[in-house]
Amino acid sequence: MESFIDYIENTLKDVPDEDNSLYRYKRQLFDSLTERANEVAQSGLKDEKVLSDLIISEHPDLRQDYRNFYLADRAKKKAEKFRNFLAVGSVCYILLLTVLYLGVSFITHNWAQTWLIMLGGITVLVDYLFSVGAKAIARMKWVFHPIARVMLAFNIMLTATFIFLCCALLFHIPMSWIIYLVAVIVLFAVDALFLALTKRKLAIINYLLYIPAAMSMIYVILGLLEVIPWDPGWLLMILAVIIDILIVVGIAVENSKYIYKQEVEDVWEEK
Amino acid sequence: MERKLNAELWDKMHYLFRDFNDRMVHVELHYDYEINIEALKTVLICFFEKAPVLHSSFTDNHISPYWSVKNYKIEDVLTVERPENLEEAVNKFLTQYIPPESDLQMKVAVFFHEGKSVLCIVENHMCMDGGDFKYFLKALCKNYNDYVEKGISPIDLRHGTRSYESVYSDFTPTEKRMAKNLYKNVCAKDNHKFPLTPDSIRDKSFIAKRKIDADRFLKIKQVGKKHGATINDMLVAAYFYSLYELAGYDKSESVTISCAIDLRRHIHDVSEQGITNHTAFMQCSIPERGRDIFETLKYVVHSSNRFKKDKFMGLYGLPLLNVGYKMLPHAASEEIIKIGYSNPLLAMSNIGILEADKLALEGHEPVDGFMTGAVKYKPYVLLSATSLKNVLTLSMCVRGNDTDKETVELFFDLMEKNIDTLIAQAD
Repeated sequence: MESFIDYIENTLKDVPDEDNSLYRYKRQLFDSLTERANEVAQSGLKDEKVLSDLIISEHPDLRQDYRNFYLADRAKKKAEKFRNFLAVGSVCYILLLTVLYLGVSFITHNWAQTWLIMLGGITVLVDYLFSVGAKAIARMKWVFHPIARVMLAFNIMLTATFIFLCCALLFHIPMSWIIYLVAVIVLFAVDALFLALTKRKLAIINYLLYIPAAMSMIYVILGLLEVIPWDPGWLLMILAVIIDILIVVGIAVENSKYIYKQEVEDVWEEK
Repeated sequence: MERKLNAELWDKMHYLFRDFNDRMVHVELHYDYEINIEALKTVLICFFEKAPVLHSSFTDNHISPYWSVKNYKIEDVLTVERPENLEEAVNKFLTQYIPPESDLQMKVAVFFHEGKSVLCIVENHMCMDGGDFKYFLKALCKNYNDYVEKGISPIDLRHGTRSYESVYSDFTPTEKRMAKNLYKNVCAKDNHKFPLTPDSIRDKSFIAKRKIDADRFLKIKQVGKKHGATINDMLVAAYFYSLYELAGYDKSESVTISCAIDLRRHIHDVSEQGITNHTAFMQCSIPERGRDIFETLKYVVHSSNRFKKDKFMGLYGLPLLNVGYKMLPHAASEEIIKIGYSNPLLAMSNIGILEADKLALEGHEPVDGFMTGAVKYKPYVLLSATSLKNVLTLSMCVRGNDTDKETVELFFDLMEKNIDTLIAQAD
């Protein structure tokens, strides 16, 4: 329809063409207006002027639409570039890592330990890829968030495994397995942070559960390392419960400021 | 690609009401000239495109329900007839049921008769309530007139969000937080019923109505002022008193009637809002019948004033419903909400004034008309009230039999008698 062309051309007359995207926007818009007009005409609208006005009224701000189109287009291109970078970068990284591993191994002839270079490098790569994935999923609907949380937990445990192997094989530190207990505490902390950053409703329930769970891990770690005696170290558990109670009381006090007291009495109950 | 619309909280709630009523909202307007059908078709198509929920099909998805926008032909929306028996044709049209799964959620009919027209519209309450339906009608008439008289394209219909959360939009952050903390289950707990016969598969939907002439309507206003009562209070008082007489409740029994309230009172500017539902109920209770209808009125005024003083009138229970629908998949949340929700057995909806000047078509004001709510399934009843040119129309839509029809007519007789008693002291 000629009126659509006039509308598009006149409205976007002075708009600067950013990255040669203006024509593509105009073409896409014109096609979508024409398709929409055909759809409405099928319903029985015969008056061409009304049809044109109706369809145009659905796009009142073309300049802003074009801006959004340009930004979305740019973001799409950027995302595509990033995906390519990840794919190519990962392959290059693995190749470099292999060269490094073989190089160090041939020079030092310490094959029994140099494989940790490979493992460490792969851990870093997987952690990075999973973090990027978790960040992308966190922007999606909350129903997908558990996937991101599992990915982050996997990252933590993978990193813990690498640190554990280094401590045990490289430095021969006794009780290196305590790393796994620390990892569980970190896992709770990261999950709580994820819930806070994604503004998850009712996250408080998770916090109240994580605090005693994390505290019990701290108790076991400190007990094993003989930093505190087992008795009365168990008081840490009581401390966790007290922290939970304080949080609940704090929330209740905060919420009480927002409790609305109806300004009217119930007359029939008075009677 | 199929367009989908979000099913809002009230859409889901009205869908849940399928066990209590047919969810149709009805309007009938009489004009003393023949409406231009081609112009009306043009306006209707534009309005349907501006409000796509009107040509959408509701999908009861167990996880999250939604509307799917459908293609349609205007001939499926608008029926034009020249019936021999006008009343029968109008009644048949108005008592139809539009399933939410159908492709259209609104049906329009124009019946020509002896050079006059009757415009009838039936729409699904899930799409909009009486408040927005009145706006829709006024916009329809204004756009029709502008199109016919000035050639202006009829595209001036409000569109925007249909979310229930709009009721909070004009609150301060503190007020908003307070309102969103109103987790109160507001349900009608009264077991008093309207004396209808038991359910039968032979029952048919009917709309019973009674007119209160302009003279008496003005007197209702006048007497109401004397007693510090609104028209709504006066009608509710007559409703209570008539019920005691009709159903034979004990005079000492407390009875509750749920009265519809428009939540748009909390929204200062509705121009950015799409057509939707913003209606809640307040429970108007009286402790006993009272010695006479004036004492009943006193109780009603007292009861309704309790709500009028409340800053968050009608907003109780919304956060609870929201949590109910958000926390669980739809199928599960429906079952849980059904446990906590009890539909009022006795209800009233004062839809208010149908402004004749704003409903005029090509300079012809409607000579008669009314709007009414859904057809209730027994034992639930809803009394609707609208006024046009100071003539009040009381209406009740029931799915029942001839005995029920007689009972409703008797109820209207009692209403008239009690209104007459109330206004006797007008002079």
